[in-house]
Amino acid sequence: MTGLQCKDVTMKFGALAAVQMVSFSLNPGEILGMIGPNGAGKTTLFNCVIGLHKPSSGKIYLNNVDITGMKPHKVCRLGLAKTSQIMEPFQAMTVFENVLVGALHGGRMRMGPAAKETERVIELVGLNEYAFKLSGSIPVPARRRLELARALATGANILLLDENMAGLNPHEVDDALRIINQIRDSGKSLIVVEHIMRVVMGISDRIIVLNYGSKIADGFPEDVVNDEAVIKAYLGEKLSSLKVA
Amino acid sequence: MNFKTDKIILAVFLIISAALAFLPSFVKSEYLLRLIAVVILWIGLAGCWNMMSGYTGYIDFGPVVYFGIGSYVVAIAMTKYGIPFFPSLALAGLVSAITAFFIGIPTLRLKGAYFAIATFAFAEAMKQITLEFDRTFSVSFFQGSDGITLPISGYDNTFFFYCIFPVTFLVILAHYFIEHSKFGYGLKAIKEAETAAEISGVNTTLIKLRAYVTSAFFLGLFGAIEAYWITYITPSDVFNVQKTVQMVIMTLLGGMGTFLGPVVGAAFLTLISEALGTRFVEYYLIMIGAIIIVAILIMPSGIIGTLKIRKKLRFI
Repeated sequence: MTGLQCKDVTMKFGALAAVQMVSFSLNPGEILGMIGPNGAGKTTLFNCVIGLHKPSSGKIYLNNVDITGMKPHKVCRLGLAKTSQIMEPFQAMTVFENVLVGALHGGRMRMGPAAKETERVIELVGLNEYAFKLSGSIPVPARRRLELARALATGANILLLDENMAGLNPHEVDDALRIINQIRDSGKSLIVVEHIMRVVMGISDRIIVLNYGSKIADGFPEDVVNDEAVIKAYLGEKLSSLKVA
Repeated sequence: MNFKTDKIILAVFLIISAALAFLPSFVKSEYLLRLIAVVILWIGLAGCWNMMSGYTGYIDFGPVVYFGIGSYVVAIAMTKYGIPFFPSLALAGLVSAITAFFIGIPTLRLKGAYFAIATFAFAEAMKQITLEFDRTFSVSFFQGSDGITLPISGYDNTFFFYCIFPVTFLVILAHYFIEHSKFGYGLKAIKEAETAAEISGVNTTLIKLRAYVTSAFFLGLFGAIEAYWITYITPSDVFNVQKTVQMVIMTLLGGMGTFLGPVVGAAFLTLISEALGTRFVEYYLIMIGAIIIVAILIMPSGIIGTLKIRKKLRFI
C-alpha cells in the first residue's frame, strides 16, 4: 500500500496520553482533513508522524516503509514534509534561501537544480515579490506561504499542514485554498489541520476527528459533521443546525 | 541568485592573500615578521571558531582543547618517537579531528549554555589530565607541569610564517565555500531554527559534527605549529582558557558567521594590543577592555556584521 498509514499510534507524556491508539491512512492524491478541539493531539500526532516524537507504541508506514521513530530529516527525504503551526522561518536568510534549504537538503539536490526548483516553488505559492527579502521581515500571510514553499521544495509527496491558514483573512484563505488545490492536482497528498470549517469542508476528501487524543470519527465530510460525537466534542449544536455541508 | 559581488569579494581576498604570501621577502625586521605571523595565526584561530560557532550558533567554549591536543601530539611525537615535524603536524591535525568526532557526538546534542559548559569542561579536563597523568600512573609521558621542550628547530620566523599562512588561508577560504554550499546553508539553517532545519531535511547531527571536526582539525594544526615555534609547552599554556576567550572576542568583534569577520576582528585586536601594549605597559589591558566594550555597544553584530546589515550585503 502506498501513501501513509498510522496503526494504533499512542504518544504518552508521563501519565498523559496525548495521542491514544490512533489509526488512519492517507491515500495518494487525497486531501485528509483533521479537526478537533485545542489539545486534542493533532500537532502531537503530526510530530509523531514526521519523527519529532517517537511514539510510545504503534507503527507508522510511509509507502510501506516503517518510519516509526525515524529521524525527521530521513522522514523528510522519504517524502513527508510538515509546515508548523508556529512559524519558524530562518529569519536571517532571504525567502529564496529558506526555500533553497528545503530543496538542497530535503530534496537532496545540487546547487543548480535546487535554485531552479526554488524558483518554481516560489512562483507556485506566489512569493515572487518577497523572494529576496529577509524572511523575518515579511508579513504573516507571506510567512505562511513560505512554510508551505519550504515543505514543497523538499519534493515531498505528502504534506502535513498544521494550521497553515491561521490568522489569514477570508481573501487570503481563498488564495491559500487555490494553492492547495494546485498542489493536490500535481499529484501530492495532504493532511490539513484547520479550525476554519469552510476550509476543511471545502477541500477535504475525508475528515478525521480527534478528541482527547483519540480518533472519534473518520469519514466523508458530510457524514462527519452530522456525527453526534463530533458535534458534541467540537462543532457544537449551532453549527450543525446550520447544516454545513 | 546573483553571486557577482561575492565573487568580487573573493577575488580581492585572493589577490591580497597572494600579495601577503610574498611578504617575508620584503619585510626585513624579524619583529615585524613575527608580529605579522602572530596576526595571521590569530586570524586562523578565530576563523576556526567562526566556522563552527559563527555559522551554527553553537557557542563552543573549549576550542583551545584542540589547539592543545595539537601541541601535545606534535611535542610527544617529536620528542618521544623522533617523528619529523611535518608528519607530526599531520598527526596532530588528525588526532584533534578524531577526538572532536568522539567528543562532538555527545556534546552536540546539548544546546545553548549547556553546550558551552560541556566544551569548556572538556578543555579544563584535558588540562588536568595532561597535568596529572604522569604522577597518577608513575610514567613520563605528558611530563605534567614541567612541560615538554621540543627539539630546537633552527628555523626562523619566515619558516613559521609559511607554516601558518597556508593553514589560515585554507580556513578563511573554507568560509567562502561554506557560504556558497549546501553544507553552509545547512549550518545557517541550524543557527536560525534547528527543528525547522531538521524537518526540512537537514541532517543536523551530521552537519554540526562535520563543522566541529573540521574546525578541530585546523585548530590542531595551529597548536602543533605554535608548539614547534615556541619550542616549550605546558598544560596551562596550551590549554589556557584565555586563548578560547580571545578567539571568541575576535570573532564577535569582526562579526559572527561572516567571511571576513575573523580576519578583521583578529587583526584589529592583535594589532591594537601590540600598539597599546608597547606604549602603555601597565594600562593597556584596561584600554583594550574599554575599546571592546565600546565596539560591541556601537556594533553589536561586529565590524563586518554591521557593515553587512547596513549595506544589505548577502556575503562579506
